[in-house]
Amino acid sequence: MHSISFNKKINKIVIYILLILVVIITVVPFVWMLSASIKVDREVFQMKPFVLIPDNAKWSNYIDIWSRIPLGTFIKNTIILTVVVTLLQLFTSSFAAYAFAKMEFSGRKTLFLAYVSTIAMPWQVYMIPQFLMMREMGLNDRLLAIVILQAFSAFGVFLMRQFYMSVPDSLCEAGRIDGMSEYGIYARIMLPLSKPSLATLTIFTFVATWNDYLGPTIYLKTEAKKTIQIGLQRFIGQYSSEYGLMMAGAVISLVPVLIVFLALQKHFVAGVATSGIKG
Amino acid sequence: MKTHTLNEREKKRKRRNNLVAYSFIAPNFIGFAVFTLVPIVVAFYMAFCQWDGSNPAKFIGFDNFINLTKDTFFLNALLNTFLYCLGTVPITMIISLGLAVLLNQKIKGRGLIRAIACFPYVGSIIAVTTVWRMLFHPTKGPVNSILFDLFQMDSLPQWFSGRLIILSYILFSLWKSMGYYMVIYLAGLQGIPNELYEAAELDGAGRWQKFRYVTWPQLRSTTFFVVIILTIGCFKIYDTAVLLSGTNNMSTSSMVLVSFIYTKAFTNWNLGYASAAAICLFLIVLVVTLIQFKNESKFSND
Amino acid sequence: MKKRWVSILLCATMIITAGLTGCGGNTNSGKKEGTEGKVHLKWAMWDYSLIDYWEDLADEYMKTHPDIEIECVDFGSNDYSNVLATEMSGSGTEIDIVSIKDVVSYATLIEKNAIVPLDDYIAKDNVDLAKFNGVTDQVTVDGKLYELPFRNDVWWIFYNKDIFDEKGLEYPTNDMTWEEYDKLAREVTDTNFGSEVYGAHYHPWPSTVQLLGTLDGEHSILDKKYDFMKPYYEMVLKQEDDGVCMKYPDLITEGLHYSAAFSNGNIAMMNMGSWAVTTLLTKLSSGEFDPELCGNWAIASYPHAEGVEAGTTLGAITGLSVAQESDNKDEAWDFINWVSGEEGAKVLAKTGNFPAISNDAVRQEISSMEGFPQDEQSMEALNYKKMYLETPYGKDLSQINEVLGTYHSMIMNRECTVEEGITKMNEETAKIQ
Repeated sequence: MHSISFNKKINKIVIYILLILVVIITVVPFVWMLSASIKVDREVFQMKPFVLIPDNAKWSNYIDIWSRIPLGTFIKNTIILTVVVTLLQLFTSSFAAYAFAKMEFSGRKTLFLAYVSTIAMPWQVYMIPQFLMMREMGLNDRLLAIVILQAFSAFGVFLMRQFYMSVPDSLCEAGRIDGMSEYGIYARIMLPLSKPSLATLTIFTFVATWNDYLGPTIYLKTEAKKTIQIGLQRFIGQYSSEYGLMMAGAVISLVPVLIVFLALQKHFVAGVATSGIKG
Repeated sequence: MKTHTLNEREKKRKRRNNLVAYSFIAPNFIGFAVFTLVPIVVAFYMAFCQWDGSNPAKFIGFDNFINLTKDTFFLNALLNTFLYCLGTVPITMIISLGLAVLLNQKIKGRGLIRAIACFPYVGSIIAVTTVWRMLFHPTKGPVNSILFDLFQMDSLPQWFSGRLIILSYILFSLWKSMGYYMVIYLAGLQGIPNELYEAAELDGAGRWQKFRYVTWPQLRSTTFFVVIILTIGCFKIYDTAVLLSGTNNMSTSSMVLVSFIYTKAFTNWNLGYASAAAICLFLIVLVVTLIQFKNESKFSND
Repeated sequence: MKKRWVSILLCATMIITAGLTGCGGNTNSGKKEGTEGKVHLKWAMWDYSLIDYWEDLADEYMKTHPDIEIECVDFGSNDYSNVLATEMSGSGTEIDIVSIKDVVSYATLIEKNAIVPLDDYIAKDNVDLAKFNGVTDQVTVDGKLYELPFRNDVWWIFYNKDIFDEKGLEYPTNDMTWEEYDKLAREVTDTNFGSEVYGAHYHPWPSTVQLLGTLDGEHSILDKKYDFMKPYYEMVLKQEDDGVCMKYPDLITEGLHYSAAFSNGNIAMMNMGSWAVTTLLTKLSSGEFDPELCGNWAIASYPHAEGVEAGTTLGAITGLSVAQESDNKDEAWDFINWVSGEEGAKVLAKTGNFPAISNDAVRQEISSMEGFPQDEQSMEALNYKKMYLETPYGKDLSQINEVLGTYHSMIMNRECTVEEGITKMNEETAKIQ
């Protein structure tokens, strides 16, 4: 008896040590980022001794960065883009996914195959024809181009379909017998059920759009249209030795995504559980 | 006569049904078809042309593909991408599975730890790569400084040049994505019925045996999913490579497939050649995915 | 409750999409006709907010030409050439005037038929190309000229006088060979921990090493035989080993900007182009750089190869071209002609940059700028005898450049020896048809 509880204790300790190790590894770069963002440049790499918060912390980095680059504009653009893309993505994907999961119609297999096969297609493969086409439509240097680029992904449809597949057909049948239209079933039965996977898709889309790098580089040219990623990238190239300012910018760019993630992360595991994995 | 009308009605119903279904799909599919499918078809055609994006394209058949097989830069990029995949896929899979198993137990603060483990995944790529470059800086970075204190090495590792850069890509990807795959595994773990464990315990199974005979087989489909997504992601590596190596002008040891495609397309404006390389990338990914799907369906039919 | 959530989602999506497309439509109007019937010209450039002269040039021109309206389109400097070429591909670009950053980009745009030959305009307006000191000959393609240079930068040695004073050493002179330069760099170097001084600094660009071999006027990067680079690679790598200069991998990892490196006050000499002058001056006067550390700088002529006249240097031009797709080519040409002429040169010199037409008045303007070194030697260094373009125009330039860049980073990262790297360069460039 004694030895079992002792064993359990050892076990617990080992688990905690492992977990603490993991937390340290994931968190250290972020802590370093925060710490460097309030340091003077020459303190940044000082290791002996390493100071977390310097005596005369340079909080002014967080103020200066706004005037050094048009950070406000960048953030505004990125927020507009992310919100629009996420909403469009949620709406159109769940709409289409419903048909793929719960309705019989001719061409279902072919259309779905078209979606699935493009998941494996890197965007770089077709970005050039896509660019030429979009410019022909007058979308060059418009935020709308990025919206279009991100909003109709095959991945969203795929993810939502997987979730709807896991909902028993009998629920829909019951709705049909009650005389509900397909739109009614979608809006009143399926959508409310799919909150976790909507949350999951929101996180995916939000993160992808917020962090997109190559798309904005190609499409958004004028300063007034740039997103935070390319804005920051240029700043880093230009002022590479001003670590404090650079890190302050990096921290600011992280905050909005982290907020969205933390707000939705409760649903994240549940959402992945019900959508992602059952082929 | 009667059967005929029935057939007619059936057809009508079917047509109506089709229209409703199409109306569901249309908002997404129109956007998807116009802005993704059409360019993809064009890209496939381009792979057989010589084209600079401005002058008329010239159809040259398989020349682009033949030239690729002789291109040292392409072969190197292919090799690097394979090495990177071989390193990243198993390591990320094992570590995120381990993490998920640990975090699936009743532990104080596990919700918080889960959230923290996902931070790198959501963190903006520019921010985190910049920090990595600082942490692994060959002469000033804390990582090498600690290595020096521990081992008093004469030559400290150059994390961002030579063969080591692939290792840097792998470590970075592991750090960035392990939280995400952990969540997927957690979801899988929660789907395993508790009775199975209880039954195993009755049979006197220990920790390892429970994992070996219950958890692992039950997670089979999750693992397939993880491997597919990981492999596809690995072959598409670009941002990480460009931002970590810190230069668009990559040496042969840091070049990956997509960066090869990117330079051929946007620096040399050899769009046909770039498309051909892209098609190769697509075929590789397709083959890997098909193999995985086949395996999985074989298993789920058992 | 749940229904409301759905309807909110739907409404929001529609409103925002409608708003967005609406905005798009608005800015689309008036493509070529600006306000009050003015001719509207779109000018492609990089780093609008960081480089002073773009705005100054446009404003100054609009003052004297009230019927023209110029809109500056900033494509950023990071990927300028690629982004520009993407923009200029096919038809449909709205750009009228194109700023050409380097010869590679110039060559790409010509191959794409994106810019027009200027010879007819030049003949019509009697522009005397002699004022460009022959530099236009180096970018003439099949007898046609597609750009007029407005800015011409040359390479110098920037040095920190304080460091030489401290060591009691003579300053670098305007007549040094690369061997003498190497010797001087070694003398001034201090490898003691805590008081390190680097005698030389090489920015990671291939041009800082490879092009030293082209100063003899016999070799060029178009040769497809690059054995002439060997002694210079060996010199730089040996310097790295001996702590004379910072190591290439470190510079890459840090992405250290050359001006930032020089501003630390521990670099004695740096080979760099004259574009660094503006950065140094503005950052010193804004207090971003510490004048105690790097305020006392000066320039010397670029060292030369054995047996070549002193004052031979490398150079780079920035030019303007007219877009093939432009609807207002005549107006665009007039602007280009103005910018590359006397008036444009004045604006450029005022901001501390070096116009393509170089004469005593221009040099006077630059050297009288606040903070520019006033010693005689620096003044003398402003005049050069002969300038070779960093990259002369040639076929397959972008592919050659890519090969050279790749093996440059391999050699400097010590992933291969100098011999191996150069052999590879020769092999790979030979494959380009």
